[in-house]
Amino acid sequence: MTRVVLRRLASSVIVMWGAASLIFLIIRLAPGGPALVLLGPDAQPEEVAELTTRLGLDRSLPEQYLAYLWDVSRLDFGDSYRLGQPAMEAVLTRLPASLELAAAAAVIAVCVGLVLGLIAGYRRGGVVDRVTSALTIGLQAFPTFWVGIMLILLFALVLRVLPSSGVGTPAHLVLPAVTLSLPFTAIVARLTRSSLVEEMDEPYATTARAKGLTDRQVLIGHALRNSLTPVLTVVALQLGALIGGAVVVENVFAWPGLGSLIVSAVNNRDYAVVQAATLTIAGIIVLLNLLADLATARLDPRIRLGAA
Amino acid sequence: MSAPPVSTQTTAAETVTFAPARRRGRVRRGGVWVPLSIVLGYVLVALVAPVLIGYDHVATPVGDRLLPPGASTSDGTTAWLGTDGLGRDIAAQIVYGARTSLIVATVAVTLSALVGMIVGAVAGLIGGWLDVVLSRLIDVLLTFPGVLLAIVIAGLFSRGLLTVVIALSVTAWTPFARVARNVTLSIKEREWVSAARLMGIRRPAMLVRHILPFVVPPMVAMATVEFALVVLAEAGLSFLGIGLPASVPSWGQTVANGKEYLDTAWWISASPGIALFVLVVSVGLLGDQMSARLGRTGRSTGS
Amino acid sequence: MKAFVRTALAAVAVVATLSACTTTSGGTDPEGAGSIVVSGTYPIESIDPHSAEGGASGKDLIGQEIFSRLTRPDPQGKIIGDLATDWSADAATTSWTFTLRSGVNFSDGSALTADDVVASFRRLLGGDSPAASNFTGASIESSRPDQVVIKTAKPDAALPSKLVTFFILPKTVAQKDAGFFKAPVGSGPFTVKSFTPGETIVLAANDKYWGGKPKLETVTIRSIPEIAARLTALRTGEVDLVWGVPNDQLADLKADSNLKTEAVATNQVYTMWFNSSVPALKTAAIRNALWKAVDFNTIIKSLYPETGALADAPVAPTVFGYSPQQPKTYDPAAAKAELTAAGFDFGKPLRLQFANPEFRPFNQAVVSDLSKIGVKIDLLEKEQAVFIKDLIALDWDVNFQMLGTAGFDAASNLGRLYTCAAKRNGYCNPQLDELLATAGSTSDEGERKTAYAAASKIIWDDAVGMYPMTVQTAYVWNKRLQGFTLDAGGYPDFAKARVNRS
Repeated sequence: MTRVVLRRLASSVIVMWGAASLIFLIIRLAPGGPALVLLGPDAQPEEVAELTTRLGLDRSLPEQYLAYLWDVSRLDFGDSYRLGQPAMEAVLTRLPASLELAAAAAVIAVCVGLVLGLIAGYRRGGVVDRVTSALTIGLQAFPTFWVGIMLILLFALVLRVLPSSGVGTPAHLVLPAVTLSLPFTAIVARLTRSSLVEEMDEPYATTARAKGLTDRQVLIGHALRNSLTPVLTVVALQLGALIGGAVVVENVFAWPGLGSLIVSAVNNRDYAVVQAATLTIAGIIVLLNLLADLATARLDPRIRLGAA
Repeated sequence: MSAPPVSTQTTAAETVTFAPARRRGRVRRGGVWVPLSIVLGYVLVALVAPVLIGYDHVATPVGDRLLPPGASTSDGTTAWLGTDGLGRDIAAQIVYGARTSLIVATVAVTLSALVGMIVGAVAGLIGGWLDVVLSRLIDVLLTFPGVLLAIVIAGLFSRGLLTVVIALSVTAWTPFARVARNVTLSIKEREWVSAARLMGIRRPAMLVRHILPFVVPPMVAMATVEFALVVLAEAGLSFLGIGLPASVPSWGQTVANGKEYLDTAWWISASPGIALFVLVVSVGLLGDQMSARLGRTGRSTGS
Repeated sequence: MKAFVRTALAAVAVVATLSACTTTSGGTDPEGAGSIVVSGTYPIESIDPHSAEGGASGKDLIGQEIFSRLTRPDPQGKIIGDLATDWSADAATTSWTFTLRSGVNFSDGSALTADDVVASFRRLLGGDSPAASNFTGASIESSRPDQVVIKTAKPDAALPSKLVTFFILPKTVAQKDAGFFKAPVGSGPFTVKSFTPGETIVLAANDKYWGGKPKLETVTIRSIPEIAARLTALRTGEVDLVWGVPNDQLADLKADSNLKTEAVATNQVYTMWFNSSVPALKTAAIRNALWKAVDFNTIIKSLYPETGALADAPVAPTVFGYSPQQPKTYDPAAAKAELTAAGFDFGKPLRLQFANPEFRPFNQAVVSDLSKIGVKIDLLEKEQAVFIKDLIALDWDVNFQMLGTAGFDAASNLGRLYTCAAKRNGYCNPQLDELLATAGSTSDEGERKTAYAAASKIIWDDAVGMYPMTVQTAYVWNKRLQGFTLDAGGYPDFAKARVNRS
């Protein structure tokens, strides 16, 4: 087990190094530097040159890359040019809101998705199944921002039961979480359905049925529990995507999360914040993966790590 | 298997298409034809758009702005689906936008599928260090939620069709690569492949003749899911103001242009939104049917 | 299975009911009737008034609430004293003496003296603030505790108006001082209660404010990027004031009996420079012909009936130095004939660049009109960093900007951007240079006005750019809010605002 853990840790470190390098490369390839954005259209060429030097952006790329790796390895992401605070500090102020939103969306997606998936899987091939499959596809077929704005207009403006945007009470969480959960709900539902269908076809289920148990008893007694394991694993792994992928939802609902921070940082060429925020998300995803892998290895000794 | 580990992380596309075949053979014949004919209808409209409706995206008859569906415009024609904030016909934008959206999605998905398939198959077939490096590269890309990297890229580089396609493809190829690799790994051990290897057939030939025929079917099923995601992602980029340039009509642009008018001039977003919805659902249903018929995953092929 | 579904449905119902309850009870103002929430145009990302921050910013908005400055514009744009009670220049207008208000204290109780002003001015010059470029080569001295003298490198008649972006901090604040800005000390009407960059800032009344403690207990400034969400919040009463409302949304808001609406003239003008240094646009005849080809009047009446008006000068009427010019008439046929006569190359497209999606419809309408007479335009929507880079490099043919005149003095617009040395639009005219130099260096207001009028005429007649529209900012607010200033610069002041306890 120790060897497995060590090997996994080592590969996580390599993946993080790759992620850090990739984001560095993308940012440095982009046209237009931060000095221009910071100084604005009135910038004099000398001022731009001076600021570029002070930001350390006049050095050669390999030089910058090594300095950057050295800093990142010590978790030092530098200061935000624009916010006047350490980039990591800005990220950490936003992280709780992102986690809150992602967690709420995940809960909704799991509850609704499981129910839909179970109904469809239990009555597979039937009308319910067909309606549910169509519904799950439909759930992810609207642009997120459209759904979000429509929900605001309906629940905040017409019905006046929920606040339109921002944070504060649990009520503020409802609309953004629901909006963010829709495509994810579809994924959970489809996964639950297929997982259940597969379990119901397993030899043990057939045996149980042969012994006289009804479909329903097999489902509740055996198949349900077994089919949930892959679903929950995927949910855990997709949490990372929910944290980083909520950009549009955050914009619509003025939700102070990491996504909107990244968008404004990209627009302003705030390299430090872009790097700190994307690598934080990458780190969370790598961590979740690591935990999921280790948990799988621990729970099921048959699964040799590596048999992908 | 001596292959190096690839983390167990999955992406939306994989999750959805990894659904094993409906083993009891409940594939309905009609289930394919309805979505397929809808999709083909879209393609047809996109192809013959200029014949259907004459439309100049540059012309902005501002006197006709924000007309509701069915109103007549100043030049005597009827705007069946209304006009946008610059007086341009929504119906025409849907027809012309179909071209852009289909082209962007087709190019991005084809590119992703090809790159993914080749990378995955080569990694699986050759193995060793190449496999380690490629698998790690995939792992690295998977640490960024796809939409995030798309936003960073589309936001940093100058606006254009190419930027959008690259932004949307940069992570989209990884699920293809992973599935292709898994399928290749399991095929590699089959007798006829071993036999071919013993007979001294060169690797490229083996790849084309013995491996790819098994890799392609699941790719096709995955491509449908990816296609839907790309069409939606294009709309998302437009909403954030970093999508296609304004001179190109696309559904995403039109839907996003209407975002300020959702409670006053709902028709700007609604019609292209419905067009997009119907396409995504049709492609999704088609994908379902395809995975049922073709979607042999690494797991089931190996067993 | 049915039981499961029923339980799930029940759970959903409970959650929905609970959330509905929390809103209704949370709907009333949690902080008492003396608190308001406002949402402006731009997010506030930094509260250091001397820090670098390009592009559109909310920094001046917040600066005036938590700090004082020597001078400030009144709501109509006239320069009045803030900390300075009186100022005067020497004959050469290179040395300005400001007398400071007595008895001004910072929010921590310490006295604000000339030393603080001197230290703050040096901090501004030593930093990366775009405002520092207004004072290149300037120095500051204090001879008396209630007096500061600013010496400029070149004669500068517009110095008092340029100082409206110079905010005064305690002298102890270091150039880089993250600690101070966590709990800043200022001499403005409010203090900072909490601040999340880019999202929310909560201000509390400063009871030591020299102008009298504000009546509002707190002012919360929220950033709500999506206009639909922002206006919904206004209509549901979650937000009390929104400004910069798009024209098309005004009709709905006007119909709401809880809301009041007013559009205020700003110092901003839609400015579409021609790059006079490219061969195709070298002659005034061609530039004027292109201007003639666009029906700006119709475009403005359709797109901005309430928040725009046809401009008749390169600077807005609220600005010192404004002088109305002969309007250009829309005549596409004449335009085409003039372009052909001047040998304009219709085959080569002109590159029109702009930076913000907000301006996309307007520019598309302009492109539409130009294409009607056969002028091809590549409409390039650029992202801010690239836009600025290309703008400075003159890598464009037509450049769209919503150009404001900081300090409401033509010196910071015409005087700064149209000289040969500025190299901002490829236009160079020694006669114009001379007029602008005169206007910038004499302290006699009448003489300055005459010089700017002559300069405006040259710029207008030579069509250095097209000047289609002056911009108005639409303020929409809840009727319970009263007494805030409808500021022409888009920076409403809440020092005297109050809420009606109805």
